[in-house]
Amino acid sequence: MLKEIIKGIYRDKFARIAFLVLAFIYFCLFFADIIAPYTKDYTDRQLSYVPPSPVFTIDENGKFSRPYTYNYKREYDADLMQTVFKLDRSKKYYLKFFARGEEYDFLGVIPMDRHLVTVDSDGRLYLLGGDINGRDVFSRLLFGGRISMTIGFLALLVLFPIGLLYGGISGYFGGITDTLMMRFAEAVMSIPSFYLLIILAAILPSNMTSTQRLILIVVILALIGWAGFARVVRGMVLSVKNQEFVQSAKMIGASNLRIIIREILPQTTSYVIVAMTLSVPSYILSESGLSFLGLGIQQPDASWGNMLKEAQEYMNILYRPWLLTPGFLIFVAVLSFNLIGDTIRDVLDPKSRMR
Amino acid sequence: MQILFYILKRILQTIPLLILVSMISFFIIRLSPVDPLAELKLNPSISKATLHAERERLGLNKPLPVQYLLWAKSFVKGDLGVTTTGEKVSVKLMERIPNTLLLTLVVIFLTWSVGVPLGILAAVNWKTPFDRFLTFITSIGMAIPSFFFAILLLIFAVKTGWFPVGGLTSYNFDDMNLLHQVLDIAHHLCLPVLVLFTISLAGLQRQMRANLLDVLDSDYVKFARAKGLSEFKVIFKHALRNAVNPMITLLGFEFSGLLSGAALTEYVFQYPGLGRLILEAVLKSDINLVMASLMIGAIMLVVGNLIADILLILTDPRIRAKA
Amino acid sequence: MIALLCLKLYIRQDIPTEDVYKHDVIKDSGSVNFPKDPVNVVLMGKDYLQSQAPIGKYGGELISSTIGEGPKTFNPFTSKDSTSSSMAGLMFDGLFTTDPKDGRVIPKLAKSYETKDGMTYIVKLRHGAIWSDGFPITADDVVFTWKDIILAGLGNTSIRDMVVIDGKLPQVYKVDDYTVKFVISKPFSPFLRLLSTQIAPKHIFAPVVKQGQKAFDSFYSTNTKPSDFVTSGPFKLKEYKAAQRVIFVRNPDYYMINKQNKKLPYLDKVVYLIVGDLNNEILKFEAKEIDVIGLRGSNVAPYKSKEAKSDYRIYNIGPDTGTMFLVLNLNRRKSLDTNYYVQPEKQFWFNDKNFRTAIDYAIDRKSMVQNIANGLAKPLFTAESLNSIFLNKNIKGHDRDLNKSRALLKASGFHIGKNDKLYDKFNNRVEFDLLTNAGNTEREALGVMIKQDLEDLGMRVNYKPIEFNSLVNKMTTTLDWDMIIMGLTGSPLEPHDGKNVWYSNGSLHLFNQRTGNETSDDRLEFEKRLDEIFDKAALETDFNKRKILYDEYQQIIYDEKPIIYLYSPVRIIAIRKKFKNIFPSSLAGVTYNIEEIYEDKN
Repeated sequence: MLKEIIKGIYRDKFARIAFLVLAFIYFCLFFADIIAPYTKDYTDRQLSYVPPSPVFTIDENGKFSRPYTYNYKREYDADLMQTVFKLDRSKKYYLKFFARGEEYDFLGVIPMDRHLVTVDSDGRLYLLGGDINGRDVFSRLLFGGRISMTIGFLALLVLFPIGLLYGGISGYFGGITDTLMMRFAEAVMSIPSFYLLIILAAILPSNMTSTQRLILIVVILALIGWAGFARVVRGMVLSVKNQEFVQSAKMIGASNLRIIIREILPQTTSYVIVAMTLSVPSYILSESGLSFLGLGIQQPDASWGNMLKEAQEYMNILYRPWLLTPGFLIFVAVLSFNLIGDTIRDVLDPKSRMR
Repeated sequence: MQILFYILKRILQTIPLLILVSMISFFIIRLSPVDPLAELKLNPSISKATLHAERERLGLNKPLPVQYLLWAKSFVKGDLGVTTTGEKVSVKLMERIPNTLLLTLVVIFLTWSVGVPLGILAAVNWKTPFDRFLTFITSIGMAIPSFFFAILLLIFAVKTGWFPVGGLTSYNFDDMNLLHQVLDIAHHLCLPVLVLFTISLAGLQRQMRANLLDVLDSDYVKFARAKGLSEFKVIFKHALRNAVNPMITLLGFEFSGLLSGAALTEYVFQYPGLGRLILEAVLKSDINLVMASLMIGAIMLVVGNLIADILLILTDPRIRAKA
Repeated sequence: MIALLCLKLYIRQDIPTEDVYKHDVIKDSGSVNFPKDPVNVVLMGKDYLQSQAPIGKYGGELISSTIGEGPKTFNPFTSKDSTSSSMAGLMFDGLFTTDPKDGRVIPKLAKSYETKDGMTYIVKLRHGAIWSDGFPITADDVVFTWKDIILAGLGNTSIRDMVVIDGKLPQVYKVDDYTVKFVISKPFSPFLRLLSTQIAPKHIFAPVVKQGQKAFDSFYSTNTKPSDFVTSGPFKLKEYKAAQRVIFVRNPDYYMINKQNKKLPYLDKVVYLIVGDLNNEILKFEAKEIDVIGLRGSNVAPYKSKEAKSDYRIYNIGPDTGTMFLVLNLNRRKSLDTNYYVQPEKQFWFNDKNFRTAIDYAIDRKSMVQNIANGLAKPLFTAESLNSIFLNKNIKGHDRDLNKSRALLKASGFHIGKNDKLYDKFNNRVEFDLLTNAGNTEREALGVMIKQDLEDLGMRVNYKPIEFNSLVNKMTTTLDWDMIIMGLTGSPLEPHDGKNVWYSNGSLHLFNQRTGNETSDDRLEFEKRLDEIFDKAALETDFNKRKILYDEYQQIIYDEKPIIYLYSPVRIIAIRKKFKNIFPSSLAGVTYNIEEIYEDKN
């Protein structure tokens, strides 16, 4: 089946591109420590909201050169009440590849100090400009992505097994079991998940890292989300369970659980896959929505959601477009997931297997 | 008759559910460290005596179970209580509910009347470039964070001047004649509807497509085809009826989301709807307001599910046989 | 194709240009030419208040905005938030008001007042001023408002709390129909300003007051029909739409006139749009849906650079009344369940003056002002805001000085261990929580900076933005916090308004909050002195003598540093040029003289 999926993805042009994009993103996130020129918290206070460093490959005389950049010089124009960044053309900083820079622990364990690209220590290479605190947006994007891009899978791990089994059992047995289980699911669905989030945000001990906290929040979200999923599964089971193959399985004396898992739930595959396709990216989107309300990952940690929150101010959208890059990445990642999901669906569809 | 009995049974089953939901929510809200008097407390000119009086007025000094019972008692009597700032909850809700209903009904109408046909089209043209194209287009809409899309649209509105910047009516609304009033509201609704429509379209279209494809693959459709019925008849007479089942369950959900589904969009567009009210109330722990809206949400959910179940029974002979 | 694109991006020529260009700028004139004070004029036996501002044109409308959920009530006596109060302020006048230039108390609904000993105030009312239903405004209304509403403790009791002197309430007497006498037991300086409180129409309010607190609380609410309001202010309520807008129309019977003796106000309509956040407000200003807006930090620059070609003008009205600060928890007490609110080792640090001073010197206020407020703020070192008339100007402040911080820490036995980490003299690692409210970009960025600043000293700071209401709950009720970044709005005119912060038993005594269950007097030395100062200064009527006392309190806070002040933003206001008679003031803002403002379309 895996082979078929891969083949299917390869055959579809959209899916192939989407797959490559996602593979590239995950590759970069994995090697974020090396690729990022700076660490997550590296700060230069002189560079608050600095525009991206320009990288030149043709020098002022029109000759090809090794790529280099200039530093920005900050001035304050009191008449205009405006901060102005000017290129300081007095010194060129040549880009160095795999050179020593800020120290870090690769994947949190291996101490290293090599970076894919960097400049001399008194130069600054902010490829996507700086944020309000003067941190490198490009580096933070990489570190923030680690959080944003794993959330979806975490939530799935919690949500689907519970939802499937619950919906399957409820729909299959029907009667009083069904009634009780569905009423319970409804009660769970009516719990104000938003409240749980606020409580969590406030009572979790403060020495907990925000990543741990976000995982907890995702788990809570998933624990609430399963109920809705279970209900749809139950609806489908209801319409399948009277069909001949279920009856015949009953006749040959298969156990109830076996019938649910082997006979009925596979009938819901198509729905489940579509729902899964929609939920990985939807949790990425949820993270950004939570951060928009100030309930997601918190400063000084980065996630695409909380970086985008900073960008959502009108002035930043108009005058500091580099802050919008997390929004663009969310868009690309979610779109890619959706396109791949569509292809997987087509591959797994019984109709295509038959042909 | 049987159906009436079924409905009655379901309604009776609902009561313990509502009690359960209200208790859980009440205690979660009250146990959270969120302080309903936070704003007052941060005002340097408010004295301890005033704070004390406020606490007493809101009943915050009583033990939790007593607070709950007091709330439940007045809720049963139909009194939703007052907000922390002393306004009547029922009045506040009534100010907002029509606005939200207007927004969500327009959105649901649009998404269903566009999404379902698109889903059918995609399924019928399965694996053709047209199908891919449709899926790709709807995917794009689904991939943008809603609040971000909303903000971008607002900036678009400012830059072009074609749309008002949020809200529901212009400030001189009361001086307009009826036609202009309708046009004014429609003008204000354009952007929020566009956001909600774009977001929910993709899900619905996929769902419909997937369901129809499932059904098209089933034995009885094959049988119908084997009988030599035209493809048109196969799809519209046989396949669609069955593909619609999961959609009905979905519609039940949408019903429950009618009043609370659009909170973030409402927030960004400054739409005077219920979602924004609840969001603000939740953040301030305004218990009566939150409880009232939660209970309305729970009731809507139960009613939505009930309607979905009844529709399922009515449309699907197989389930009807069982019920 | 993608390869081509990459190549295109890669090849970039370095062309030296002056990439910054200058815009046309109108310089701010600097000083504002305020008109003379309004004067009392008698016309046909009626006492009018004559504005001395230039004569304007009638008609037009001003569209403003209010951030948040809009007014919660239109009853000036039950409102507890600034939006409701300012709306009620448009509808109801008080006896006195504040001079926008220098903060003096000047008559409004009152014609004049006199006092000989600072204990008896005789207030004369205007003949001919009327309520919007035609009834005259008389001494009965004033006596009723004070006796039966304010002093009786109905509604918001904060005014009543302020006028309790030695446990005694002021006495209010009607002398004749247009004269009222207030008597207080001791000269009490803030009293006159408190008479700015709005006056209610007795014939409307009396029946409600009889029904008690509950009826009063819901009286004149946002659900009241606009035509049912009986008011005295320059504008009358016309329409309230929840979460959308409030519309006021001109009161044709207002008692103010212009220099041609024609009735004010000029504007036909004042509209407040209710907007949820600053971002939306800016968009609305940009789309010309609103006429006036307060701007902050980096939002100002784009507007300033476009100002010359635009239809608005930007006013810099100086430092705000808002203060941003870092507060430490000095609490050494145990809670009821016998746990310490603050862990014992942290108590030792936070109660160490050297430790607090070291933190103060480690903070980089310059970068805060530059990065977070885009230069539009002033570093702050005093407890009074920078526009306060009681500001202690002798406190000069200091720059960041890490060496001084290190020396102070060393003096208190702190030492640097391995990996540059800071330990106290009992070898505890110095580590604490820093909280602020989530969702506020400005404060979140501030927290990041403070964390970095303190980590330069080797401390470990667990920085955690939490939800606003939970934060306040921690700060005022559960008391289990270490350090918080907060902001408060003070009064630039009356330091006594901040008594709940500074009195050791105050309800907002942030740095050492007491619950009222304390059995012994555990006040710190400087807390005792603060209590004395606030007691004394309130009973002192001479401005200069009060100033000396309040100077001392600011010095104490600066020396002891239980609260470390960070900066105070500068207020920038943009308003469409078509509005005239705009006299911005740092004390009162821009639209305080709404009855004098007029619209000139040319």
